[in-house]
Amino acid sequence: MDTAPGLARLRAHRFLPVWHRLLLLAACLLLPSCASLVSGLSTRLANDLSAAVLNSEDTETVRQGAPAYLILIDSLLGEASKNTELLRIAANLNGAFAAAFVTEPSRARLMSDKAFDYALRAWCLELPGSCDIRSMPFEEFEVLVAGLDVKEVPAAYAVATAWVGWIQAHSNDWNAIAQLSRARGLMERLIELDEYYDLGGPHLYMGGLDSLFPAAMGGRPEKSRMHFERALEISAGRNLTAKVFYAELYARLVFNQKLHDRLLQEVLAADPKSEGVTLINRIAQMRARRLLETGRDYF
Amino acid sequence: MCFMHHFNQQLHPGLAGMLLLLAVLAAPAAGAARFKIATASPDGLSWMNELRLAIREVEEGTDGRVTFKIYPGGVQGDDFTVLRKMRIGQLQGGAVVASTLSRFFPDLKIYNLPMTFRNFEEVDYVRQRMDPVLLKGLKDNGIHSFALAETGFAFILSKTPVRKVSDLKTLKVWVPSDDRLYIQLMRSFGIDPIPLLTADVLPGLQSGLINAIASPPIVALALQWHTQVKYVTDLPIVYIYSMLALDNKPFARLSPADQQLVDRVINQTFREIDRSNRLDNEKAFQALLDQGLTLVSPTDAEREVWYRFAENAVSEVSESGSLSKKNIQGFFRHLEDARSSSAAQ
Repeated sequence: MDTAPGLARLRAHRFLPVWHRLLLLAACLLLPSCASLVSGLSTRLANDLSAAVLNSEDTETVRQGAPAYLILIDSLLGEASKNTELLRIAANLNGAFAAAFVTEPSRARLMSDKAFDYALRAWCLELPGSCDIRSMPFEEFEVLVAGLDVKEVPAAYAVATAWVGWIQAHSNDWNAIAQLSRARGLMERLIELDEYYDLGGPHLYMGGLDSLFPAAMGGRPEKSRMHFERALEISAGRNLTAKVFYAELYARLVFNQKLHDRLLQEVLAADPKSEGVTLINRIAQMRARRLLETGRDYF
Repeated sequence: MCFMHHFNQQLHPGLAGMLLLLAVLAAPAAGAARFKIATASPDGLSWMNELRLAIREVEEGTDGRVTFKIYPGGVQGDDFTVLRKMRIGQLQGGAVVASTLSRFFPDLKIYNLPMTFRNFEEVDYVRQRMDPVLLKGLKDNGIHSFALAETGFAFILSKTPVRKVSDLKTLKVWVPSDDRLYIQLMRSFGIDPIPLLTADVLPGLQSGLINAIASPPIVALALQWHTQVKYVTDLPIVYIYSMLALDNKPFARLSPADQQLVDRVINQTFREIDRSNRLDNEKAFQALLDQGLTLVSPTDAEREVWYRFAENAVSEVSESGSLSKKNIQGFFRHLEDARSSSAAQ
């Protein structure tokens, strides 16, 4: 059963080829009163692109080709766009691309900036009274998060995931590290609101966040393990990234080589093809190979 | 160890002899060593990455005669457990907060005496002259160490403003539960502190069990303690530093050339960590303000009161005999020299 609303969206509108939609967009842009049509087509185009990317088995083609489409989506958005769905897709694609393919720190920072900016713009449009989510006093932030509703899950999830990616890319900036509790607070609330969202994505992220520090420094390795297990359960093993993070972040933290190697071997043995996660499964397998190699030195 | 002792008692003498022979054959060649070192710090932090690079350089430079195995993330326990395991030979080293090494050489705590250092100029002046003394004292007590790595000045972070000593007396102040010296020092300030483990500080602040802490900015931000306080007092309270400590016995067995190489590479790495931590703390202090904490700046007169309390507290510790008079006197002599050379400029 597909439990991820995001995947359902990605599968919609696939009947119209991408190039056809581009032509329509170009033609429409010449007309004065087609803003809403452009907006709808843009969203469909972005959805199709996103689905094509996520279902690709060829990581190298995506690595080389995706940047052109990211620029295209930038052009569709512009400064004034109020299309929250398109903003979230753009945030997701930029963040995912940076995490999967960009190794150069300054580029990763730029892409994470863009992803976070798009996610915050969507958030601000949907929750106009809370645009200052990054800077409001922490007590107010906690009250805001506690008051979030199920219908706000897509906006909150986009911000939370982009926030984590942004902090990671800016981990040499203490102002970024200082915001970790906010990203974490959002993710905890998302688990309460809809733990199934994005194939159990909130659990996957919380598994990572709880494994940042050892127990002696206030980390929560045992909770991390529970979140990873739940993410695996919800995705029914479809999302191989969950096992890779489980091995890399939890098993290494607690120095459990047996668990580490078992999880990674399972990832390598699995069929990566799965609707909406084929590409990230391929990337997960590449990472699993590297982790098994470096694990020999680590353990 | 007890288990092994019991096991050996029951061995057939011939079998025991054979095991002894196997043990000798399996022992590393003379001059070679494998150092198992542990730290509570999580893997992936920049200083850990630098240490791993240094270790690789040592291993390559000694053609594998000297190797290291790092156990990060507290998997071998907290700093005290790491030191206990070093004593019984399960580990050969640890990267720990220096004060925990004071059980080997108490004078390491001299730098931690409250409000003795007032700025980084004084720290640099004194450390340049005194670090070798501390390292030698530690070495004489069985621990080989390297360049000290600054963790930073701890500042008071609190839920209500702390400008005067009397402000702090009304608060519930955290002290690390394993640190008797700090508990004694706090009491000299008239404060009855609340001892907690590091892991319990954030929940303690959230629940109201404590409402004031002293921490270097990088630690407060990394562990997210800053989210639960509103004020930072612009007054360095305590200077904190860390060390990589190796059991001197296996280190002494290395050839002089290998010892020199290990010293050169790891000292260089720790000097870099020392420098970068200072820069990080400066940025982190600014980040605390950027995150909305209010800076509380005591007046000169208020500072003098803080310093008087600190002097009394330090006198009590000095008179208790827990630190050597010679090194305490040396420390304060250097400190006075630093102040007079600063005043002369």
